[in-house]
Amino acid sequence: MITETTPDASREERLSRARAALAGVSTRVGAGREEWERPALPLAQEVAGLLPEGLRRGQVIAVSGATSLMLALAARASAEGSWVAALGMPTVGVVAAARRGIDLSRLALVPHPGAQAPAAVGACVDGMDVVLLGERLALSDADRRRLGSRARERGGVIIAAGDWTGAHVRLDVERAAWTGLGAGDGRLRERELVVAVTGRRQGGARRVRVLLDADPGLRWSRPGARIDVDEEVA
Amino acid sequence: MSETAPARKAGTGPVVTGPVVAGPVAAGPVATTRRAVLWVPDWPVVAAMGEASLRADAPAAVLHGRGLVAVSAAARAAGVRRGMRRRLAQRACPEIAILAHDEGRDARAFEAVAAAAEDVVSGVEVSRPGLLMIPADGAARFHGSEEALAEALVTAVAELAGCESSVGMADGLLAAVLAARGSALVPPGESAAFLADAPVDVLPLAAMERRQREQVEDLVSVLTRLGLRTLAEYTALPVGDVLARFGPVGMWAHRVGRGEDVRPPVLRRSEEDIAVGYAFEEPAERVEQLALVAAHVAGLLDEALLEAGVRCGRVRIAATTERGDTLERVWRTDVGSRAGAFARHMTDRVRWQLEGWLSGTAAGPERAPLTSLELTAEDVVALGSEQAYLWGGVSGADSRAQRTLERVQSLLGADAVLAVREQGGRSPRDRVLALPWGQEAPAARRIEHPWPGQIPEPAPATVLAVPEPLEVLDAGGAPVLIDRRLGMSAPPTWVRMQVDPQDERAAAARRHPSSGGVGRRDDGPAWGLPQPVEAWAGPWPVVERWWSEDASRRACLQVALRRADGSPGPALLASFTGGRWVLEAVYD
Repeated sequence: MITETTPDASREERLSRARAALAGVSTRVGAGREEWERPALPLAQEVAGLLPEGLRRGQVIAVSGATSLMLALAARASAEGSWVAALGMPTVGVVAAARRGIDLSRLALVPHPGAQAPAAVGACVDGMDVVLLGERLALSDADRRRLGSRARERGGVIIAAGDWTGAHVRLDVERAAWTGLGAGDGRLRERELVVAVTGRRQGGARRVRVLLDADPGLRWSRPGARIDVDEEVA
Repeated sequence: MSETAPARKAGTGPVVTGPVVAGPVAAGPVATTRRAVLWVPDWPVVAAMGEASLRADAPAAVLHGRGLVAVSAAARAAGVRRGMRRRLAQRACPEIAILAHDEGRDARAFEAVAAAAEDVVSGVEVSRPGLLMIPADGAARFHGSEEALAEALVTAVAELAGCESSVGMADGLLAAVLAARGSALVPPGESAAFLADAPVDVLPLAAMERRQREQVEDLVSVLTRLGLRTLAEYTALPVGDVLARFGPVGMWAHRVGRGEDVRPPVLRRSEEDIAVGYAFEEPAERVEQLALVAAHVAGLLDEALLEAGVRCGRVRIAATTERGDTLERVWRTDVGSRAGAFARHMTDRVRWQLEGWLSGTAAGPERAPLTSLELTAEDVVALGSEQAYLWGGVSGADSRAQRTLERVQSLLGADAVLAVREQGGRSPRDRVLALPWGQEAPAARRIEHPWPGQIPEPAPATVLAVPEPLEVLDAGGAPVLIDRRLGMSAPPTWVRMQVDPQDERAAAARRHPSSGGVGRRDDGPAWGLPQPVEAWAGPWPVVERWWSEDASRRACLQVALRRADGSPGPALLASFTGGRWVLEAVYD
């Protein structure tokens, strides 16, 4: 930012100009972010409406009801160079992950961490950018609190299936409707999710409609996915 | 080297700069280099006879498809020719041994010949199995004369690789190949004259790949029909007309026929694999004992690599048991990014591999005490010449993640952390190749094969590792059946899935008398309530490997369910096989 200073400018004028420059920088880098935070990880376009601030580092997101939503949240970050680990998810569909955009060369699966789950998850939170956690991990509430603070410290993101006390954001899939099937004909083509977003920072739930598997054959006239914020529930 | 001058002149002309044959023979004139060509006659049959341990004077031939591709000298003397059918060959020479064609074997066996030639000259190019290209200038000066070089090459190949070969030298590719066939040394500058009288049929000899050779063979047949019999007649044609009439292949043949080179030789620089081994005095079975040996052997390999000034891309760990079985795995190493840690990492890998196997969790031959352990460094490159990523080295995040995963591996065992790759297959489960993190293995199935019957996109996000039983019922509550002609007994109306047996509500419902559960044993599957089917598609037949033991024949069904309150429920992929329905995957 170039600011021209004239020697005859008064002290107050120079000070205000400097403050304006500083404010400009902070809006450019992302205003309202805490100092310790690094820039948020990118989010795929389909799910951008769920987390308008992006995938902020150091937060825990609890997702219930859809594995593909977890994959979609991690997809863009993985495609842009982040490492993803999936722990305790022995049934995760790898082809689905690849189709969502997760780079398989930077994806590690730990299907059955067993009794060592706290240590294994802790190691992954330390070293990986995005950690996906399955529902049936042997983690106590104390473990979860510790992992959450560890993620905040290291700047990783935990996306956990199921309940997570103290999660920053909760995404509950309330309705998932597939289209494309008939009575013996067709195939699964398009899926619409209605996701209730509950945040720790916001009061009530927000319902967002997400089109996850947009069928290119059906949507050729409208490129990209449609995202509508349906209603705000106070 | 008078040959270079006309080549350059032609190159600066307006016509020659047109496209040449695509692929390795790129455009652009190249000055002819003096080269020696070492040719092993009938290489495929020589390699096959070596493998079948036949005597060199036995009649033999290699059969590919319907015709013979190579014939040994004894068989040729008996009247067997290339291209003959098997029966004709057997009639001409009843005691002939017909051997199978195997390109991999040809290439593998030729490594020995290349290594023998490298004993004499450093930096040879393997043009194709059976033909070696050697830059002759410096080597001939070193050995005194070209005759001495040729003699040294033939002797080395005969002594070290145990096969007869002939060497020829000339300027330019085609002349050198032709000279090798006649063991001729064409003096510098006389290559054009040497080629002039040759028939156009020799042109395919200079084509090194099969596709290119086919193109050139087509061209030769056209030329013959046009009445152009010798290379001199062909190369007398104006360059522009050749390009206009015969295209890039004709252009390539024109240049090669004039004795020019189309590309400089690509020299092979081989680094041998480095292997260290350890033979146990007493067969070892305890993990602690093995761990010590693993550390020792890994240290030895590290020292050997350091001494040779090289690093390796992969390490093959092979352990031999008392019964003679071998347990072998290949691990990727990224030593360049973490200098000094090699020995420790290799120790861990060896320990994991052996522990997993000795404890019986990993697949492998039957467990038995080990008699020897061998570590082989493969993909050896000189230090400093390793290939980095396009944008600099391994990033900090990458090495941090690698370290993390190794830590988790040391915590849970090597097989607990999986790296996944996509591979070809029909069902979503088959399309994934999972390997322990850091281990190398080729994908079993190619993605680009057609895979008829593949379940269409989108891929399910939950794929059950082991299919779960499922009940698909018709309106009356009877199981839906699919016959061999894919006819359904009734449209599916209800689906009953298994529920978690620990779910208390489900357990209570099972115990309730209305479910008919009184007196039923508790260890059977716990069924949930039937859910209505909203829509369905199928059945799609998936028939796999009908010729083998693990044949499977299934019919797949995509089902979308409805919840009790009328809202849409989950979508499933179910399959019917052997009279039973199983749940394959959930689109959640």
